[in-house]
Amino acid sequence: MVMEETNTKVPSPIGENKIRLDAREKVTGAALFADDIQFGSGLLHARVKRSPHPHARIISIDTSKAKALPGVKAVVTGEDYPGYIGLYLLDRHIFCRDKVRYVGDPVAGVAAKSEQIAEKALQLIEVEYEVLEPVLDPEAGVSPEAPLLHPNLEEYEVANFIFPEPGTNISNHFKIRKGDVESVWDECEALVERKYHIPHIQHVPIEPHVAIAKVDETGEVTLWGSSQSPFAQRNLIAKCLGISQSDMRVIAPYVGGGFGSKAGVSMEALAVVIASQVKGRPVKLLLTREEEFYTAFVRQGLVAYFKMGCDADGRLLAMENKFFWDAGAYTEYGVNITRASGYSSSGPYEVPNVKTDSYCVYTNHPVGGPMRGFGMPEMHAGLEQCIDELARDIDMDPVEFRRINCLKTGSVLVTGSKMHPIGLTQCLEKAADAIGWGSKAPPSAPNKKRGKGIALMWKAPAMPPNAGSSAWVELAEDGTLTVGVGGQDIGQGAFTVAAQMAAAALGVPYEWVRIATPVDTLYSPYEWQTVASRLTWSMGNAVVNAAKDARRQILDLVAEAWEEDPQNLDIVNGIVVSYKSEREMPLKDIAIYGLPKPDDQGWLGGPVRGRGNFMPSYITGLDPETGQGERAVVHYTTGAQAVELEVDLDTGRVEILRGVSAFDVGRAINPELVEAQMEGGFVQGMSSALFESMQLKDGVMQNPSFVDYRIATSTDVPLDLENIIVEVPQDDGPWGARGVGEHSMVPTIPAIANAIYDAVGIRMEGPPFTAEKIYLAMLDAGIVK
Amino acid sequence: MSIDAHPGLPEFDYIKPTTLKEASDFLIAHAGEARPLMGGTDIFVRMRSGGWNDKYLVDVKCLEGMNDISYDPHKGLSIGAAVNMNRVIASREVQDNYALLLQAASSVASYQLRTRATIVGNICNASPAGDTIGACILLGGVLHVHGNGGIRQEPIKTFFKGPGETLLRTGDIVTSIHFPVPEEGARGVYIKLGRNKASDLSIVGVTVFGYPDVNVPSGYRIRLALASVAPLPLVVDQVEAILTETSIDEDRLMLAAEAAMHACTPIDDVRASARYRKVMTRNLSFNALKVVWKDLKKL
Repeated sequence: MVMEETNTKVPSPIGENKIRLDAREKVTGAALFADDIQFGSGLLHARVKRSPHPHARIISIDTSKAKALPGVKAVVTGEDYPGYIGLYLLDRHIFCRDKVRYVGDPVAGVAAKSEQIAEKALQLIEVEYEVLEPVLDPEAGVSPEAPLLHPNLEEYEVANFIFPEPGTNISNHFKIRKGDVESVWDECEALVERKYHIPHIQHVPIEPHVAIAKVDETGEVTLWGSSQSPFAQRNLIAKCLGISQSDMRVIAPYVGGGFGSKAGVSMEALAVVIASQVKGRPVKLLLTREEEFYTAFVRQGLVAYFKMGCDADGRLLAMENKFFWDAGAYTEYGVNITRASGYSSSGPYEVPNVKTDSYCVYTNHPVGGPMRGFGMPEMHAGLEQCIDELARDIDMDPVEFRRINCLKTGSVLVTGSKMHPIGLTQCLEKAADAIGWGSKAPPSAPNKKRGKGIALMWKAPAMPPNAGSSAWVELAEDGTLTVGVGGQDIGQGAFTVAAQMAAAALGVPYEWVRIATPVDTLYSPYEWQTVASRLTWSMGNAVVNAAKDARRQILDLVAEAWEEDPQNLDIVNGIVVSYKSEREMPLKDIAIYGLPKPDDQGWLGGPVRGRGNFMPSYITGLDPETGQGERAVVHYTTGAQAVELEVDLDTGRVEILRGVSAFDVGRAINPELVEAQMEGGFVQGMSSALFESMQLKDGVMQNPSFVDYRIATSTDVPLDLENIIVEVPQDDGPWGARGVGEHSMVPTIPAIANAIYDAVGIRMEGPPFTAEKIYLAMLDAGIVK
Repeated sequence: MSIDAHPGLPEFDYIKPTTLKEASDFLIAHAGEARPLMGGTDIFVRMRSGGWNDKYLVDVKCLEGMNDISYDPHKGLSIGAAVNMNRVIASREVQDNYALLLQAASSVASYQLRTRATIVGNICNASPAGDTIGACILLGGVLHVHGNGGIRQEPIKTFFKGPGETLLRTGDIVTSIHFPVPEEGARGVYIKLGRNKASDLSIVGVTVFGYPDVNVPSGYRIRLALASVAPLPLVVDQVEAILTETSIDEDRLMLAAEAAMHACTPIDDVRASARYRKVMTRNLSFNALKVVWKDLKKL
């Protein structure tokens, strides 16, 4: 690539729809994913023996026959790996040691010359179990009579903002005590009390989890994988194995869909410990789709109770919420979903009195983990239906009710702190306007009923208070820029946005910027994880700081050489200019070799490399008894969705006719990518509203394939999707930006539920709102015969 | 349910005979461990999941006549057993004369799968959910079967014995399916209810086929077949009786639809409950009957 010098000023790439950096590679099939990497004939294949029981004690494991099978290079059990692993609560062994706690829990691993041999070896491993009574319901799980899944809970290492209750199955109990709910129930004009059940669903990335691990003779580990979290994996696996983080290297090529499932550590540690038994040989573990369903992270189930009341003017007076999270066998990551739903438990409303108990409950179900929205879609599913019901109870329009109560700049939040500048009211009004709120078109056929629904949302990045980002930028001889980041592009466009920011902050055209990929913990700068919709904001700040650092180095150098004040210099289109002397110099003449002093008296400068980091420093703790505190989170992204749909009275089938999303993103760095996130989130939310559910029976998923785990296809998506960008800037976001990756999936379930109610007058306990459920509910209500 | 998920297929030998006799002989010589292979859309799935464990797959796709599709205005339509569904759908003769078959075939899985899936394979799998089976029965389809004793014919209506069970014996190879020329003015429809719009198995499938018949009081002969609501593809004979006895109106159609509902014996499974399937059988039967009746009345 040769960069042409030009004197026409290229506009700042911020706010421009720049073409994705990875578009061509991905469209042509050239992009490299983890399973594409070639390791030659030395590659071994791993398979994992898994528990068929939801809860059992391991009596014995006999691996002798498997070890004797020709072609088998290693058989591994938990015996040699006593360490615990986990993100917020270390409650998980890599391979089970004493007990299995879900169907699919790994008990032994095999490395062999082929997958077929590894499969045969699994059949030769004999495991004797003593079956134990399982916990299959989170409410039953909190009862004192319930069998204890983790009797040594009190010994587990835990983050200081997570509150386990040893001696129970509760691994986190988050409380809000704001005001006094009991004192105001009598003042309420209307009260709504509801129970909702949100089923487990899964991320179903098109690329299943894959990890290839190699451990060399000195014990240094290299892990290639499809990962949202190379640095967290480095840290957690190293800690568990008792090795130095610098002896653990994670290389993360492109990701074929993450949605949270590839955050933290799930199956990657299995590959590492199996590989540690065959030093020098790479070992690949690739999950089948069924294994993906059985054993990768799932979105936790939720049983939620809401009680809320308002006065005659429609002002919310109180909310009392109880959440029982069906968090699964290990809650190392899920404990923080419980917390996030707790500190957001008022929804995007100002409510003077709030009492919340959010319980993370161990069950013998698949392991709950992060999924797009991190508890918010599950919580909002019920909350936003209750809001609708309250409004109708006092004969107020649901949009008006929301307009009165929704958060505004300066509102007092459920945790006691004040709301930062926010465009939620705008989002609500724009979404309502776009869907034609208040007017009702006739249905398309006599056997159909039409309805509209709306829902609001809020969500903050859920993460430790000090989750950090870093970045570097380096100039090449021709003045082009390479940007090092540790965040991952999981399809959301993070690399493209990073490149736009670097270009704008340094002063070069977007086309001059490259991102140093793949992310490699040996060379890439640190990034906590690609989660929480935090990259545009947090990694973005680090990239901007790095670009500014490089810019300062360049301007200082040129100022010295030209004997000018750096204040009078600028970089425009890759050319350093002086507004005072009107001198110009292209970056390529400076970037590597510096500048000569006059009269051949030596040189100034050197290769330019900027560095930057970012870490929020202002997050304070919350009182464990009241959940009140100065500042619980970095910021909230808020928004609204509205839908128009039809219900078929012959079948119960819902057809979404139109969908509108409006989100306050602070500043859209790349509006098309923002819209793509809104659209993708709407579709994923719609899929979870209408189709998706892991059907768990006695702890066993009954539909572990795409034949019976239905997801929305392109034919199910409404053609009419409108995406509205609202921009109320974030004070500490780059150009005011905040994240929007997850948020668009948060209000979809209740927006659809409210529209179904508007159409046919029924409400259900929870999604998915399948044709069958809707029809039978209509039948039971006498709406159809 | 086993949670063992296999990354690939088990080992098997691929046999490619050059004549039907050679294929039949091989299947008989390896009874219980060999299976004829057509499009493979079901076989490979079942082998991977461990449900089927045949040592040999006998590829009969390329044997003589298996890939032919032909139409004769007097004799009707003949479709070779290996003709994939997309070829059936693209056939001008099928479009012009067998719209019901085209509609049923178009509802099967996805375009990609239909480049492998075959009508005969759909029938031989004998799944109660088979989308094309109702059309094949009501259109009077007859299978040509090459077996030990030579070629014989099997009408599809009497071909099924149970879920996955047919009259086929070891060594039998279905070579083609034949349909007579449809009656003058015939009309048909297939209504499929899946959980979402594309690529699903049917929860309920209703096929209706009818034509004017001056010999019956109503003036029409209308038949109905159901998928996914009984152990076998189910033809509800009462529907035909109800709709021939006396003149047809919407009440009469509802009576027939209710007969279909009472005749079916669905089960609860992961896809839907028996209760829902029952009422959907009624509602969709009514809708399908109405479509065909209205079409017939336009003649």
